[in-house]
Amino acid sequence: MENNQKIVIGKRILTKEELFKEKEKFRKERAKLLFDEKIKALVQLQQLALSWGNKKDVIIWRI
Amino acid sequence: MRKTLEVINELKDKGLIKDYAIGGAIGALRWTQPFFTEDLDIFIICEKESKEKELIILTPIYEYLKKKGYPWKGHWIVIEGVPVDIFPADELEKTAIEEAQETEYEGIKTKVIGPEYLIALFLRVFRDKDIRKTELMLEEATVNKEKLDKILNKYGLTEKFTNFREKYYGK
Repeated sequence: MENNQKIVIGKRILTKEELFKEKEKFRKERAKLLFDEKIKALVQLQQLALSWGNKKDVIIWRI
Repeated sequence: MRKTLEVINELKDKGLIKDYAIGGAIGALRWTQPFFTEDLDIFIICEKESKEKELIILTPIYEYLKKKGYPWKGHWIVIEGVPVDIFPADELEKTAIEEAQETEYEGIKTKVIGPEYLIALFLRVFRDKDIRKTELMLEEATVNKEKLDKILNKYGLTEKFTNFREKYYGK
């Protein structure tokens, strides 16, 4: 029964399986980003860890 | 990061190291989607090897960086705002450096250890965070399975990899 559940995202209706497949595809696409872009994303993650997380001693990289 | 890599390249240009490559989490991140990490791991091949093989002398490198005014924070040396860990390479890491992929970061040339060698290095250390990185590499990076098998076989890691796959992937 649970497998028939649909998820509505805006105008799109997806099954859980389709959503997981999309997530998988998104991760693989993100893996292809340029190194420079990934480092920028990393710095955002460091900023997030500093402001939201418990990691108060994180050094935000100078890029 | 740009200036950090410039300084690390200087170590090579000035003959303080023979070669280097980025490994660890940033090495993995080159091949996977971005994920959180705090430091930049650099594996180096020293220019001069000590007469006593067990002794690895990094003093000239650290003296050079200290003279440039880079501070220590715990085990890291913070180069141009980026915490860096410098590891002298052993046999496996030396090959990984020699075969590392040349890449550029904002126009600065650098080398990053390839996915197959990174997996071997993570498997060898095998802490929780290495297991997570191994999973990420297998799921997101393009891995040459034949090359990986050869490396694992050469460095006695095949059984560890088989156990890892059985435990985490059930095959």
